[in-house]
Amino acid sequence: MLNILVYGAVTSAIYAMLAVGFTLIFGVARILNLSHGAFYGLGAYAAYVMTGLLHWPLPLAAVVAVGFVAAFGAAMERLLVRPLRSSPLAVLMITLAVALIFEQGMFLLFGSEARNVPAFVTETCACAGLDISGQRLLTLGAGMVVLALLYVFIQKTRLGSAILAISQDPEGAQYMGIPANRIYSVVMGLSAAIAALAGVLTAPFLTVQPTMDLLPMVKAFAIVIVGGLGSIPGSILAALLLGYSETVVSYGISPAWTEIVSLIAVLLTLILRPAGLLGKRAAF
Amino acid sequence: MRRLNKDVVGAVAVLVLLAMAPLVVRSDYFSGILTVSVIYAIWAASWDFMSGLTGRENFGHALFIGAGAYTAAFLNSKLDLSPWWGLPAGALVAVAFSLVVGFPTLRLRGPYFALAMLAAATIMQRLTRIFWQYTGGEEGIPGLDPLFESHLATYYFCLAALVLASVLLLFLARSSWGTILRAIRGDEAACQAAGINVTFYKIAALMISAAVAGAGGALYADYQEAVTPDVFAVSLSITLIIMVYVGGMGTIWGPVGGAILLAMLPELLRGLGEYRLWVYSVVLIFILFYSPGGLVAPLWRWLTRPSS
Repeated sequence: MLNILVYGAVTSAIYAMLAVGFTLIFGVARILNLSHGAFYGLGAYAAYVMTGLLHWPLPLAAVVAVGFVAAFGAAMERLLVRPLRSSPLAVLMITLAVALIFEQGMFLLFGSEARNVPAFVTETCACAGLDISGQRLLTLGAGMVVLALLYVFIQKTRLGSAILAISQDPEGAQYMGIPANRIYSVVMGLSAAIAALAGVLTAPFLTVQPTMDLLPMVKAFAIVIVGGLGSIPGSILAALLLGYSETVVSYGISPAWTEIVSLIAVLLTLILRPAGLLGKRAAF
Repeated sequence: MRRLNKDVVGAVAVLVLLAMAPLVVRSDYFSGILTVSVIYAIWAASWDFMSGLTGRENFGHALFIGAGAYTAAFLNSKLDLSPWWGLPAGALVAVAFSLVVGFPTLRLRGPYFALAMLAAATIMQRLTRIFWQYTGGEEGIPGLDPLFESHLATYYFCLAALVLASVLLLFLARSSWGTILRAIRGDEAACQAAGINVTFYKIAALMISAAVAGAGGALYADYQEAVTPDVFAVSLSITLIIMVYVGGMGTIWGPVGGAILLAMLPELLRGLGEYRLWVYSVVLIFILFYSPGGLVAPLWRWLTRPSS
């Protein structure tokens, strides 16, 4: 019982970290970012290169990896997305191209076999019927801290207010002197950084492979649809919902059926409440 | 009228070229590449019919292809039916899948359809691996009966299927039906205001697209004499989208040309086969920045422009 509670929380934290960035960039810049999974994968691979090949200490490697992916996200917005902003279809396709290039690039550089990234915490916690690795608990804690920081950042800082303003009314915000383009870059970098952090933290207990970007991204889609596109509280709620229902299904029925949970959740949401749990914008 | 004549002449020329190719270069390897290219062309045309005309991008077309291929494989290997049954059955099952995903998502505006298709195809691929007792897991279902004994006959059958599919889809795209679909791409709200049942047309277009893709998937299974979970792969869906972009979206015949070109290109430049997706993504970025209308369709229009 306690296992379900804690493992579900860990899964939810990972999902929430991925979904929040995805929904943020959609809500603010209206970019449906198909390369979000690539940011996650790039974080894990960057950590692998720095710890496994360059033998840097892990904390330094993690910070550099997250910073690198954030810069990559911001640069991608500036160089690839911005010139194509007039056509939403082209933006969608360019993010897809970046995801493809990530996958193929990692495949060419490192091959298809799984890579190892060392864990921050190697002890496992086996107490009161609970059996879980320290790294998973660390991921849970880091996820909660990141989400809290993100909330404070958006609600309390000047930059956060600018981001909120842009997401509510891009034109009006621009008339007030908020530089929309610069905000888009910042948000892209921010969402890339959160995804990369999730990649670095989960790399020790999930596999690091060229195709690792796909499944987390599909889960992020599912969560964002269930929670409501563009709503951060909604995606956190949906991450909890999906994380726990997958854990319950995997303990109660069989791990094989967990994959279907998110698909059914997506279809049910779209039939019953297309705007998502906390979505404001009518989707019809 | 002159415009149409030139198009017909061009289409016949390409068809003759494709029909002659295996007779000129006699190798099983080459005719295999040709067959796969032609099947890709069927898939690309079916993608374009739904997504190119209505502007609703489908990121999981492999869902329909895989549904068709696995249906054909099940009928042939588990029920011992003739491989011919796979073609209509594959199309039917693909249509059923298109209803499951299309009905909840296509009545909505926004990116829901694209996301749901991508999620559905990915999850189906995972399921074929998880339920390996029935689907053969990673190895898939090998040892299917071929449609024809000779490779050449299979190739010509696929070519005939491509002609049939593209004529059908082109006919529909140029009828008043196609006009409505294009109007939906232009302004969905205006169409609705004009009393057009937008959702009905979108779902019907998706069903037709799925039927063609499903039959194409069954064809692919019969040609390979096996199916693997790769028929559900996202990389397949994406390859098709890039082929359509290269061909020119919304023209049906452009994507057919784009698919054949792109499918042959890496095989002919030997050694590039491994870097196929790499080449494709570079091509995609080039097209997005420098030639948003694609390559094949604008090139053909430029070649056949009325001489002044």
